[in-house]
Amino acid sequence: MSGQGLTGLSQWSRRLVAVGVLAWCLITVFPLYWVVVTAFKTPPGVVGGPTYLPFIDFTPTLQPFIDLYQGIRGEFFRTFLNSTIVGLSAAAIATAIGAMAAYALVRFEFKVRLGAGLVFFLLALGFYLLFNATFGLTRPQALLLAFPIALIAAVVANRLPLPGPILGNEDILFWFVSQRMFPPIVTAFALYLLYSEIGRLGFQLIDSYVGLTLCYVAFSLPIVVWLMRDFFEAIPIEVEEAAMVDNVPSWRIFIGIVVPMSMNGLLATFMITLAFVWNEFLFALFLTNSRWQTLPILVAGQNSQRGDEWWAISAAALVAIVPMMIMAGLLSRMMRSGLLLGAIK
Amino acid sequence: MMRNDPIKHVFIWPAVLVVLAISIFPLIYSLTTSFLSYRLIPPIPPRVVWLGNYATLLQEPRFWSALFTTTLIAFIAVGLQYAIGFGVALALNARVPGERLFRVALLLPMLLAPVAVALVARMMFNPTMGPLNQFLSKFGLVNLPFLTNGHWALACIIAVEVWQWTPFVILMMLAGLQTLPEDVYEAAELENASAWQQFWGITFPMMLPISAAVVFIRLIESYKIMDTVFVMTGGGPGVDTETLTLFAYQEGFKKFNLGYTSALSFLFLIAITIIGVTYLALLRPHLEKRR
Repeated sequence: MSGQGLTGLSQWSRRLVAVGVLAWCLITVFPLYWVVVTAFKTPPGVVGGPTYLPFIDFTPTLQPFIDLYQGIRGEFFRTFLNSTIVGLSAAAIATAIGAMAAYALVRFEFKVRLGAGLVFFLLALGFYLLFNATFGLTRPQALLLAFPIALIAAVVANRLPLPGPILGNEDILFWFVSQRMFPPIVTAFALYLLYSEIGRLGFQLIDSYVGLTLCYVAFSLPIVVWLMRDFFEAIPIEVEEAAMVDNVPSWRIFIGIVVPMSMNGLLATFMITLAFVWNEFLFALFLTNSRWQTLPILVAGQNSQRGDEWWAISAAALVAIVPMMIMAGLLSRMMRSGLLLGAIK
Repeated sequence: MMRNDPIKHVFIWPAVLVVLAISIFPLIYSLTTSFLSYRLIPPIPPRVVWLGNYATLLQEPRFWSALFTTTLIAFIAVGLQYAIGFGVALALNARVPGERLFRVALLLPMLLAPVAVALVARMMFNPTMGPLNQFLSKFGLVNLPFLTNGHWALACIIAVEVWQWTPFVILMMLAGLQTLPEDVYEAAELENASAWQQFWGITFPMMLPISAAVVFIRLIESYKIMDTVFVMTGGGPGVDTETLTLFAYQEGFKKFNLGYTSALSFLFLIAITIIGVTYLALLRPHLEKRR
């Protein structure tokens, strides 16, 4: 990888390009600098107009952070914990089962009849309407009953010689990835209604750890499967074949050989998923209200709650941002070693 | 080589089940709800209206304005992201001095919470204590109405989107640039092709597939924009910056008009699908020429 594309440029144009990149870099960094500086200002230091340099323009103070910790502007400490717990567990679960699915898609052959997929959708819809309208079951009850029936019927239908195309691994992957295309508002709103009706049956999902984590796992899976498939494809198959000759069962090949070999990829995927969950706003807005509120919701609320107290807002924003800044540092180190190269092909 | 072993079902089913349950499930739920007239407040029993909700929506100017606003934000922001991102990626790939330092800084914005970014943006654009207005007033532009005028607010949201997501384009394009074969450039060098010719003759066409993918991902993601607008303007002034997701949120979560909101989210889904399919259809001839 030498310098491509700019080889024909003169010395002067190279400098011009460097200045351009530097300018973009400044645009990127300045707002971040601004929020860090503002978080250490006293109220008069903020209201009096823009000031830039600590100790010269203004005297820094830790007061905004002390306020945050003492919970004057909402329970930051607990919300931070919530975000951490939900983020770590959702990312870990999604990476684990996503990696398993990705491995299966790379190494095993799957055949799904399009007809079976249609059977699933139509039966799920039909039984839902039947149970709901005719037998008078509540909507979640009807859904929960219709789902297994349709699923079993679809699995059986897959073995029958139905007409229509047969879908392979590529199509299953496409199905996974296409879940990302859906506007999340479609699901978020329906999920909110579904959760609250399930809650009326006695099982609390709204504003609960299980409900939020489950939803985040489902929404991280497409990315995980997509990223991990590329990592697994890059692993030479010879090692696995050698193990198969010795009759090592598949699950031990996966855990003992494949997982250690793709540790970097798993780690990068885990971090990307964690960032996604940590920053997510829409689902948290719908699915939590007090106990399991996450940081983005609390941070967004700072805006309206007590007016423009920018020093406190900056401190709050900083709390949400800093963990991801650290991760950016770690990720860029991995990027330098060419790790993410495979992920985009 | 593909193996065939019953254990494959153990590997794939957990993921399939979770995704099926959480994404297909609510789909059926809201599809059926969208044909009902169904409100929680005031509570009236659901009544089947078939396509009534859709008909009302299509006549609702607020829906069209939200669709227009979202489209405007998505296309302008993604266009700028692509242009700037490709440029910076080219420069980084050519080993501009100090390139290592840039990489961390350039990666940062895309990992930050959009909510926090929007709050920072509000500070930057603040008329009295914001640095941007102070900077511009040196050029005689005093107190620009950044977030209080519809057009300005839209421009500010686009600026924030560009700031946050250009790094993603840089990251992907850089990775793509590094896979380009070197000998083509050496040949071009022998032919005395200028840098400009090299870019349009070699780099751009060879990067077309990955460009298409990057723009597609960003376009789809931009259509879902919600948190940035929610915090920066709340859709205001008036409904000048209201996006589709925000509109659906207001209708559903504030008014609890369930049937209407479900219909709205399905129209949204249809709109995104149309845009996605059109995009791929428009691009296909260009992509296949290269194979």
